[in-house]
Amino acid sequence: MTQDSSRLRLGVLGMVVLSLFCALSARLWYLQVLASPTLAVEAQHNSVAVVYTEAPRGRILDRNGKVLADNRVVLALVANREEVGKRPEVLDRLSALIGVPVNVLNERMADERYSLFKPVPVAVDVPKDKLIYVREHQGDFPGIQGVQVTERVYPHGALAAHVLGTVGEINDEELGPRKAAGYKAGDTIGKSGIELTYETDLRGEPEISKLEVDSVGRVQRSLGGQPAVQGNDVRLTIDLDIQRAAEDSLAQGIVLARKSTDFLTGKPFLAPGGSVVVTDPRNGSVLAMASNPAFNPNEFTNGISVRRFAELNDPAGHYPLNNRAIQGLYAPGSTFKLATSIAGLRAGLITPRDTYNDQGAYTVVGQRSATFTNARGARNGLVDVAKALTVSSDVFYYWLGERFWDGRGSLGQAAIQDVGRSLGMGEYTDIDLPFESNGRVSDPAGRQKLHKDNPEAFPYPEWYTGDNLNIAVGQGDTAITPLQLTNAYASFINGGTVYAPHVGDAVLDRQGQEIRRVEAKVLRRVEIPASIREPLLAGFRGVVADPLGTGFGVFSGFPLAAFPVAGKTGTAEVGGKQDTSLFTAYAPADSPRYAVSAVLEESGLGASAAGPVVRRVFEAIAVKEGISTAPPADVNRVDGRD
Amino acid sequence: MDLSPRNPASPLRNLDLTLLLSTVGVSLVGVLMVYSATRQKQETAGLDPTFFLKRQAVFLVLGLVAMGLVLLVDYRRIRDFAPMLYGGAILALLLVVSPIGTSRRGTQAWFQIGAFQFQPSEVAKVVLILTLAAVCAAVRGSLDTPTLLAALGLAFLPMALIYVQPDLGTNMVFVAIVIAVLLVGGAQPRHISLLALLGISAIVLVVELGMLQDYQRDRLTAFLDPQTDSQRSSYNLRQSQIAIAAGGVAGRGLFQGTQTNLSFVPEQHTDFIFTAVGEELGFIGGVSLLSFFGVMMWRIWRAAVLARDQFGRLVCVGVLAMLVFQIFENVGMTMGITPITGIPLPFMSYGGSATIASFIGIGLVLNVHMRRFS
Repeated sequence: MTQDSSRLRLGVLGMVVLSLFCALSARLWYLQVLASPTLAVEAQHNSVAVVYTEAPRGRILDRNGKVLADNRVVLALVANREEVGKRPEVLDRLSALIGVPVNVLNERMADERYSLFKPVPVAVDVPKDKLIYVREHQGDFPGIQGVQVTERVYPHGALAAHVLGTVGEINDEELGPRKAAGYKAGDTIGKSGIELTYETDLRGEPEISKLEVDSVGRVQRSLGGQPAVQGNDVRLTIDLDIQRAAEDSLAQGIVLARKSTDFLTGKPFLAPGGSVVVTDPRNGSVLAMASNPAFNPNEFTNGISVRRFAELNDPAGHYPLNNRAIQGLYAPGSTFKLATSIAGLRAGLITPRDTYNDQGAYTVVGQRSATFTNARGARNGLVDVAKALTVSSDVFYYWLGERFWDGRGSLGQAAIQDVGRSLGMGEYTDIDLPFESNGRVSDPAGRQKLHKDNPEAFPYPEWYTGDNLNIAVGQGDTAITPLQLTNAYASFINGGTVYAPHVGDAVLDRQGQEIRRVEAKVLRRVEIPASIREPLLAGFRGVVADPLGTGFGVFSGFPLAAFPVAGKTGTAEVGGKQDTSLFTAYAPADSPRYAVSAVLEESGLGASAAGPVVRRVFEAIAVKEGISTAPPADVNRVDGRD
Repeated sequence: MDLSPRNPASPLRNLDLTLLLSTVGVSLVGVLMVYSATRQKQETAGLDPTFFLKRQAVFLVLGLVAMGLVLLVDYRRIRDFAPMLYGGAILALLLVVSPIGTSRRGTQAWFQIGAFQFQPSEVAKVVLILTLAAVCAAVRGSLDTPTLLAALGLAFLPMALIYVQPDLGTNMVFVAIVIAVLLVGGAQPRHISLLALLGISAIVLVVELGMLQDYQRDRLTAFLDPQTDSQRSSYNLRQSQIAIAAGGVAGRGLFQGTQTNLSFVPEQHTDFIFTAVGEELGFIGGVSLLSFFGVMMWRIWRAAVLARDQFGRLVCVGVLAMLVFQIFENVGMTMGITPITGIPLPFMSYGGSATIASFIGIGLVLNVHMRRFS
């Protein structure tokens, strides 16, 4: 090999070395000068972990500012994953101390819902002495710390539970659409009631702390952040005193019904549950909403146990979680005569002075002849519409029902039902509470549809004359909620304005200033001229005031002169069950400010079970109004005819 | 021989101070960066933050001592020991894959000696340079086929043993050394083409026949497709590039690198030491370091050009190939332009065997250079 060749080869090698160094420098130039700004952002992002800690929720207040839902500070033990992970024996000791099985503690430690950079709560609501023990023996419990956490508490227990609702940990379904709003797995969220409807107001802004974290997740230092901001308070239209009176009265009425004998079956009434609703007919605000049986929402705060949740859903317990006021569906019975009366007067089938001779029974003649009778076979003689309401003459309405069916060619097949619906029966009331039922007002078209959709449950598609007699007195497969019943009467007595009832009154900031008012929402206005209104008002007043009225006995001894009450009884027959007892009323009768309804399942006549419950609620209201000083007496069962 | 500088004939008077000083300078920066990359982690773990600093300083001193010892002996004398050195290296490589050797993360490449580990494959690189140079320098003119085959055979044996460990990166360095020495050593054009063909087929065979572990293949190909996030290798690569980019022009300042301190970058004090330089010292620091390396390579290349004989020249070429390949592969890896292999950055990465072996390599070059007149 020549010297030149060797030189050439060394030269080539030198060029290769030079070009490799150029390549490295060029790449370094690209990364650090050209692409640096974009990649540097990523560098920041990678090393900062953001940890969120939930803020306390806003409180829920009654209309007078009394606290219905609050937060309390509880002691919790939290575990540092890294430290405890290295010493599994710590969990054994902790298990023995607080009486929680080790496998449960291990599950909590592994729970992915908790941020990796935040200690995991392994035990919440720990007795103070246990916490002190852990602190005093920190050597035995490395990585375990005692902290204070706030949690939801309902100071009145089960009171207004169905209205307030419950909170719980967010699930995947709820989290999906809320991620953009800043929700994180493990967050608390309203699950039902006001807690759910006003979730965005009640939820605060979480504490955000930024931590510098190395690539294996160890926290190096804090980079600051922002403190938690408690959620806004929500003030309700609920009046705590009336709510309590409603719940107590309902509970007493149910207990009493269970002690009474049903003369139709000879057995005691089953009385599995019921509901009371109190609204202000002038604006649709709900003053009380009771549902029995009830539950204690505090049980849900830290995650209800599977066993307890199953208990609450056991049919034998009659479903305490259901809010019967908006979810319970009941045949309205005679309370539906409000709609039938308006329809009859409006259609001109009757005038306020027209009478019918009620002999206790009404026979439909035709291919399916049948005889319909009054409850308990009462004979009321000559009755006009007002009297028919007062004494609850079914025969009068059977007669009206048949005439509606006969005139269906010009009046339409569902003239009665249309009035009921216009007052909100069988329709969503649009209340600011979740999971409301709509129910239905039965009519020929609806029956056909039911049959088509489910022929086994509804074998008969046809609508007979008898069905029209039934709808005229609120029987058949019509089913409405207690709130719909209350709201229908409220709409009638306020002159025809159908409000969407509301429980929320205002959202308040931490200083108690109103941020937002919940305005009364008008769904529609129903034209009810005085010529129709007056006779009906007289009829409802007679129910309580007339010695022949079905509710006369209920209000004996009540200061009616100072606080006149008017209303309507209802007794609905339900196939295979004991009668549903209904009573709906309003007061003061001349300018109503309260509309009250009670519905008691399988409890007998409206006057016997529901009536006395409503009376007791009015007694409490009378005390509030300064009319009466005597505290409400216990509910008494009253004999009656409807 | 009188090595005293006062002796006008002393080879030390011809010592390449530029190479010596740039090497020591780079090594000192290396010690500093090893400290910067480890202190935070050590402190967090409650350990001595200067642990790695102290050890790397010891390695630097040991390397300087080894280099000094190499300088004492004329490189032509060293050539005579080449067969013995080669035999020793092969023996050490054999022993290290036997139960005597220590395994770490799936690779059996170390002897545990007290608190230190000795990695024979690092020293084997230098021994191979001497061996190949000796073999190739023995023939005049172009290499004949028997010599070429002998050289390849001598290279193949240690590579086979290193493949068993396995240590893919070191074997790649071996390949670079072999190619460079044979090229400058006078391989004929047809030999070179044949070798190139052989090399390519070997790579294809190795990759296709599954002679590589999955992780090895992933690492080698991660830089081609950085978007595949599923691979841990790709993550390392991304973190490393982010860290370097975060340095910008001026860097975050010594000890200030968040990516470095927070150990986002894996193997920071060893294979990924350049990311610490990039993040904390910036483009200015990075280019300065590359320039120092460049000066070293220039001086080594110059020593090869000036070498008195073919053996000396080939030793310089071998050392040049060894260092250049490691620098390019290592720095390129941290910047995402070369495959990820466990090759340390000479004079910078934490590690005793590699540091000492690199200093021995520089010692050989200095030796060839200062004795070019004698």
